[in-house]
Amino acid sequence: MNHPENVSGRAVLRRAVTGQWRRVAAAAALGAGHQAGEALVPVLVGVVIDRAVATSDGAALGRWLLVLAVVFAGLSTSYRLSARATEAASERAAHAVRIALVRRVLDPRGGAETGRLPGALVNIATGDARRVGLVNWALAGAVAAVCGLVVGAVALLRVSVPLGLVVLLGAPPLLWLSHVLSKPLERRSEAEQEQAARASGLAADLVAGLRVLKGIGAEPTAVERYRRTSRLSLAATLRAARAEAWQGGAMLTLTGLFIALVALVGGRLAAQGDISVGELVAAVGLAQLLLSPLMILSFCSAEFAQARASAGRVAEVLGAPHAVAGGSGALPVPVRGELRVSGVTLGPLRGLSLTVRPGELLGVVTPDPAAASALVRCLGREADPDAGTVRLDGVDLTSVEPAEVRASVVVAAHDADLFEGTLLENVLASSGDRPGADRALAAATADEVAAALPAGVDTVLDERGRSLSGGQRQRVALARALAADAPVLVVHDPTTAVDAVTEARIAEGLRDLRRGRTTIVIATSPALLATADRVVIVEDGDVRAEGTHAELVRDHAAYRAAVLG
Amino acid sequence: MSAARDLLPVAPAARIRAVVRELLRPRRGAALTAFALLTAATGAGLLTAPLLGRVVDLVAEGRPAGALTVPVAAIALAAVAQGVLTGFGVSLVARLGEGVLAALRERFVDRALRLPLEEVERAGSGDLTSRVTNDVSVVAEAVRNALPQLARSVLTIGLTLVAMLVLDWRFLLAALVAVPIQLHTVRWYVRRAVPLYAEQRVAAGAQQQQQLGTVGGAATVRAFGLADEHLRLVTRRSETVVELALRGIRLLTRFYSRLNLAEFAGLAAVLATGFVLVRNGSVSIGTATAAALYFHGLFTPINIALGLVDDAQASLASLARLVGVADLPEPPGAARAADEPAGEPADGRDKVALAVRGLRHAYVPGHEVLRGVDLDIAPGERVALVGASGAGKTTLAKLVVGIHRPSGGTIDVPGRVALITQEVHVFAGTLAEDLRLARPDADDEALLAALDRVGAREWALALPEGLATVVGEGGHRLTAAQAQQLALARLVLADPPVVVLDEATAEAGSAGARVLETAAVRAVEGRTALVVAHRLTQAASADRVVVLNSGHVVETGTHAELVARPGGRYAALWEAWSGTRRA
Repeated sequence: MNHPENVSGRAVLRRAVTGQWRRVAAAAALGAGHQAGEALVPVLVGVVIDRAVATSDGAALGRWLLVLAVVFAGLSTSYRLSARATEAASERAAHAVRIALVRRVLDPRGGAETGRLPGALVNIATGDARRVGLVNWALAGAVAAVCGLVVGAVALLRVSVPLGLVVLLGAPPLLWLSHVLSKPLERRSEAEQEQAARASGLAADLVAGLRVLKGIGAEPTAVERYRRTSRLSLAATLRAARAEAWQGGAMLTLTGLFIALVALVGGRLAAQGDISVGELVAAVGLAQLLLSPLMILSFCSAEFAQARASAGRVAEVLGAPHAVAGGSGALPVPVRGELRVSGVTLGPLRGLSLTVRPGELLGVVTPDPAAASALVRCLGREADPDAGTVRLDGVDLTSVEPAEVRASVVVAAHDADLFEGTLLENVLASSGDRPGADRALAAATADEVAAALPAGVDTVLDERGRSLSGGQRQRVALARALAADAPVLVVHDPTTAVDAVTEARIAEGLRDLRRGRTTIVIATSPALLATADRVVIVEDGDVRAEGTHAELVRDHAAYRAAVLG
Repeated sequence: MSAARDLLPVAPAARIRAVVRELLRPRRGAALTAFALLTAATGAGLLTAPLLGRVVDLVAEGRPAGALTVPVAAIALAAVAQGVLTGFGVSLVARLGEGVLAALRERFVDRALRLPLEEVERAGSGDLTSRVTNDVSVVAEAVRNALPQLARSVLTIGLTLVAMLVLDWRFLLAALVAVPIQLHTVRWYVRRAVPLYAEQRVAAGAQQQQQLGTVGGAATVRAFGLADEHLRLVTRRSETVVELALRGIRLLTRFYSRLNLAEFAGLAAVLATGFVLVRNGSVSIGTATAAALYFHGLFTPINIALGLVDDAQASLASLARLVGVADLPEPPGAARAADEPAGEPADGRDKVALAVRGLRHAYVPGHEVLRGVDLDIAPGERVALVGASGAGKTTLAKLVVGIHRPSGGTIDVPGRVALITQEVHVFAGTLAEDLRLARPDADDEALLAALDRVGAREWALALPEGLATVVGEGGHRLTAAQAQQLALARLVLADPPVVVLDEATAEAGSAGARVLETAAVRAVEGRTALVVAHRLTQAASADRVVVLNSGHVVETGTHAELVARPGGRYAALWEAWSGTRRA
């Protein structure tokens, strides 16, 4: 397997920052301005007390209130601009990560989904991308906090060196203590969140299975089960809330004691005449204010840790090995449609060989569903065979770009998804040819599905077609595959949820529409197989028998068992 | 699509208040205690400022350093008191809020699970799902974080204003200069924030849906060469989210900037008042200092309280949607008939387990799906319902089970009818828990017996932890066929006398379908069963076949009888289905 690029979490983070460095720099500078402004407010209050209130100097009052106004205007403006730059940097970086992830998932060579559920991938593309973006928030915040810290410290030290030292040396241990206090809380909160998540998860699960519950009359049992889980969750929540309340209380006490210490030292200095009354007021205010940049710093470090973890997950997806290699070969134009599978080994396929003539409608029956999936994956180049080759008109498929292969060989998997949009948009997906789409709709009897919908083919399919029944969904998906009008079409179990009458009509429609072009139907439906030119049975990894449906029904007991039940 | 949906009810403000009051009533003592504790805690915290003012005064009066010990010790004491009282008070608030929340969500789930399916379907299943996930978590978040913060902030603001009043009433007057600006700002903000945040939620949901579609359907996207198109769609949705986030931050920053203006106006007014009062000798410098510090101390709680206004609005909206469902009356008992049977089918009751008379149904008035169906099923009889799509099979099944009320005619069944549909759901939890939903008191042996009956015992025991294996969302993934067998095992455990099976074996793929057919036959053994037949083999093995066409019963009889009927509809279906079997 080849790796697209060796991506590390660190590189993902670095790209998130360097892509937005102008905004991050602006946000940091402006944030520092805001911090400094906030620190200046109590200083100015002290100055007003000192120079105006204590001296009853009206002119000084006017002057200093004007200065206060300027400081407020400055801190307000810098806050506004800094917050906007921070948000823009975070959101834009997250957007870039999101798009890169989706691009990787959709890469024709595939491989990103291997071992990951779609829900997990979507979580990475939303939650983790957002957290990677927030690295810019953390960075700008940290720089600004350090600036605020320096400004505050300088102001304090200018008032008085001993008082400044008390504050600067006292604050970090205080924060360290709060960190120590909150450690067990974090652990407990995780356990609590797990419990709480269990209650809400259970409720969502029960609602999702509402029809099933009602089908067997299990609502009272389910309600009782939810009540028990809800009570457990409540108990866990309360334990955590109590811990949190006491942690908050302890922090209040510690901060109060810290202020008392500053007041004691500052008061003594003032009493000795080393500092003025106003400076004492300013020092007490600054002592309280300096706690905030320190707290921001510890938030930022937590955010950094999360961003690193998220970036690691993003990098894993971006760097996931491709499922198949690219290629530089080309298919002939036009494709005649001769498909030659020789000695293909992959999963349950063991040296499978079969030839499909140009324009033939071939039925393939595999009692083992895994063998069918393996064959489907090989033909669409979702996976390459471990051994052997698949040749189209003599060209080895593994030598051709997967996207180019799929332009000629359309594979309609039995679990193919429909997408948001109207029914017609879904069918037109890859062709854009309206008359062709109408023919395909009719052949798959999806025109009848449309007729039963409020706006016909222009009906928007809710939740990716989940509002349709299983059979309706299959008919629309088949119409889409037919509308693609490919030289080679592979369909896998296209009608398992369609009723018998309709299935027979689909089989005819499929045969008529595909006449003259190579079509492979992998299924066990007698209606579909009866219209095939030839049917092969793949058992134990290779072709065991072939003939028409009628011949095989007559001569082959295993075939009868697989197809007629 | 979702335009003409009848969403589930949303409670008006008066009902919300009534329900919350009702839930709080048994906790009234705790509520009063919590209020008293938090008030005392806030009061203790507010002692710091006048004590600092006292320190300033002592210094200004030129007292010796030793005189400072008393006020400083008092500050320390106040800090300890504040910490302890806060610890108790906030714990109690949490117990109150969380207790009410738990009672509310339990009542909500109780009503939600008992809602008639017809009502849920009319509203779209997304409505109930989003209430049970989003709305519950929005309200929980508010109770957990916003409520204690709001309580403490409001108390701090209130008590600080009282303290300023105590210092000198003119300080309070000065502080109130900020209020008009703040009120105006909040109104300005909420008017814009509520619709914007609603738009943000819609955009986030649309992005999530797009990604689920694109990423979940990645194989299909590749197969049809739709990568560019999908990348464009994902980019557009993501850009919308970014754009709305930036609009959100612009709004938020303007909000706080305006509050900054209020802060400055109030602070300047308090300082100026202090200046005047000190000059005319009404208050000391220390008192003026305390007033300024008080006001400065208001910045944070005011920002917190006002910043929570839009959260409060959002959680009120969610609360209205929760109470709307929680407040529903218990659904009335299963009354099935549209018009009461006019003294009709008393005869031969013991021979008939299910009697349908003149059943008509139209989802849209004037567009009848069933046009007078009569059907009797004997106890223990297995009847297969056959017909093309749109013949009315599923409608008949839904009416019999009571999901919809018929437009006309009667359905007479003794007790409840169980329904197994093609929609399978594996409940998250252990396999045993999943099965016990059907019969809570079943022991492991009974569970295994039920699994055995539907041919699932072997794979169930082969799971990593057997019956204790966690299955469903986030757990061990069962195949579609296994999930369907599980549904049948639940049916065996629930042990209903009458059962309807609708396309129960359709989605498993051909190979699995046969295993499931056997399982289904065994699960309904001894029960009266109405089977909506998808594969005709299901019909072939039934006691009797009923063929529906355009809402009428057109043929009825055993498989052999109907196949032998020349020109019969069933005979034609059988021929089409078995294809060249006779070739």
